[in-house]
Amino acid sequence: MKRRIPLMIVLITGIFGAVAFFVPHPAIRSADELMRNDVQRIITAFSLVLGVGSIVQHHLLKIKRHAQFWPYSYITIIALLITAIIGVFGGIDVTKPGILPTRIASFSFHIQTIYSNMMVPLAATMFSLLAFFMSSAAYRAFRARNLEATLLLLSAFILMLGAVPLGRAIHKQLPAFAEWILAVPNTASKRGILFGVELGIFATSLKIILGIERGWLGGGK
Amino acid sequence: MNRTKENILIRLQHIDRRWIYLILWLVVMIPLLFPFKIQPRPTPPVTQLFNYIDTMPEDKALAISVDFTPDTRAELQPMVVSLMRHAFAIKRRVGILAISVYGLGLGEEAIQQVTEEFNSRARNHEDSVIYGEDYIFWGWTTPVLTVMLGMGERITNVFPVDYYGNKTETLPITKHIKNYDDIGVLVTIAASAIPRSWINYAQTQFGVHLSCGITAVSAADFYPYVNSGQFIGMLAGMKGAAEYEQLVRQRMEKNGMTWLLRNRGTEAMSSQTSAHLTIMAFIIIGNIAYFAVRRKRK
Repeated sequence: MKRRIPLMIVLITGIFGAVAFFVPHPAIRSADELMRNDVQRIITAFSLVLGVGSIVQHHLLKIKRHAQFWPYSYITIIALLITAIIGVFGGIDVTKPGILPTRIASFSFHIQTIYSNMMVPLAATMFSLLAFFMSSAAYRAFRARNLEATLLLLSAFILMLGAVPLGRAIHKQLPAFAEWILAVPNTASKRGILFGVELGIFATSLKIILGIERGWLGGGK
Repeated sequence: MNRTKENILIRLQHIDRRWIYLILWLVVMIPLLFPFKIQPRPTPPVTQLFNYIDTMPEDKALAISVDFTPDTRAELQPMVVSLMRHAFAIKRRVGILAISVYGLGLGEEAIQQVTEEFNSRARNHEDSVIYGEDYIFWGWTTPVLTVMLGMGERITNVFPVDYYGNKTETLPITKHIKNYDDIGVLVTIAASAIPRSWINYAQTQFGVHLSCGITAVSAADFYPYVNSGQFIGMLAGMKGAAEYEQLVRQRMEKNGMTWLLRNRGTEAMSSQTSAHLTIMAFIIIGNIAYFAVRRKRK
């Protein structure tokens, strides 16, 4: 029963979702609208509670057991609490204040300030590290070892040259040639890959809806 | 090849990566502090989107979906800003939404910046951009499918309240933007596969015109959709943003808006160009050293 009920729900909702996409009948439409606007939203709200609960439980356990890097768990929980309280009760910005005061003299700490001054620089810092790894990899690993690697190297070189003004200085048609590489050979190969991927998604979805693929139920053997 | 040269090439093969990091840091930082002028020429996908928005009927709105996260802000935020500037410069309504919750803050930043630019220079009511009349920030809701399909029926069902807590039904702009039929083009700015979902759900079912702004690394993935016409043009990476900024600047000047505005995408082009050239130099040096060592081993 524990397995049958979820399988039945997936079968019914899966078939309904597909049917609703193709049948414009008002009854189907309104049922579909109810599913999307109400049912899915309620499920998502529950998943949010589950997510917050899971992260708090995980870090509290780490603190209790003094697991590796456990002091950082305090930072996670405190940051989560402060951001949630300010986000829910503190309003959006200075023009839209909430019930919680988020200003001390000229210093404001509403959600947009926290976002712009903490979230954005932290995320940008992490992402910018990619440039350093890419340049190191380009220096150490991007070698013309065989024909395939040489072709890849040449295309990358042309694309990079096409993206900088030096490319036009070398030859006027170089940027257009770089654009052609992206628009023609790249598109041709991408289309082939996309067809394969979409067919794979279709087959896997069918297997899940029909209950042939049950890995998502969890529980191992 | 004499022994000294050979030794240098062998040593280059095993250079400490920290030197590479230092060189790249300098190459990125110096042009940011002392930029040199680069004005990229608009490529066909960028021109295509610009021309489409520029000639959009007056009753059609521009919708921007802020679908990226703060890590790609440097590359993608200039696109949101210049798209908004373009729409306001040609007096088209703008609707902004976020598919990712992280997009809310980025959307709000762009709105604050662009509305301030226009309203601080407005001489009369006609010149200014007013919330609820000329633009709306629908905000974020979940799940993705609800937004993409629901907006085709009635936007107020999906977003009963906007980002600021106003009831969307009460805002005058809602009379003009009811669903996808009133949207000239929806531009999704993303660093993920979200633009594909917009095609799969919103375009397939409702036929909404779409375009996208994406990071340079994912540009190759979206060319098939540009070629098939499913996307009206595309802004690819910081270069795409800079190209669009140039076109918008020209349009604004034509409309008498000779304002000195910061174009972040164009400003960063000198830094990006230097980084590209350095990486190309790294590849060349790395290969020369590799072949020198291989010859020696033979």
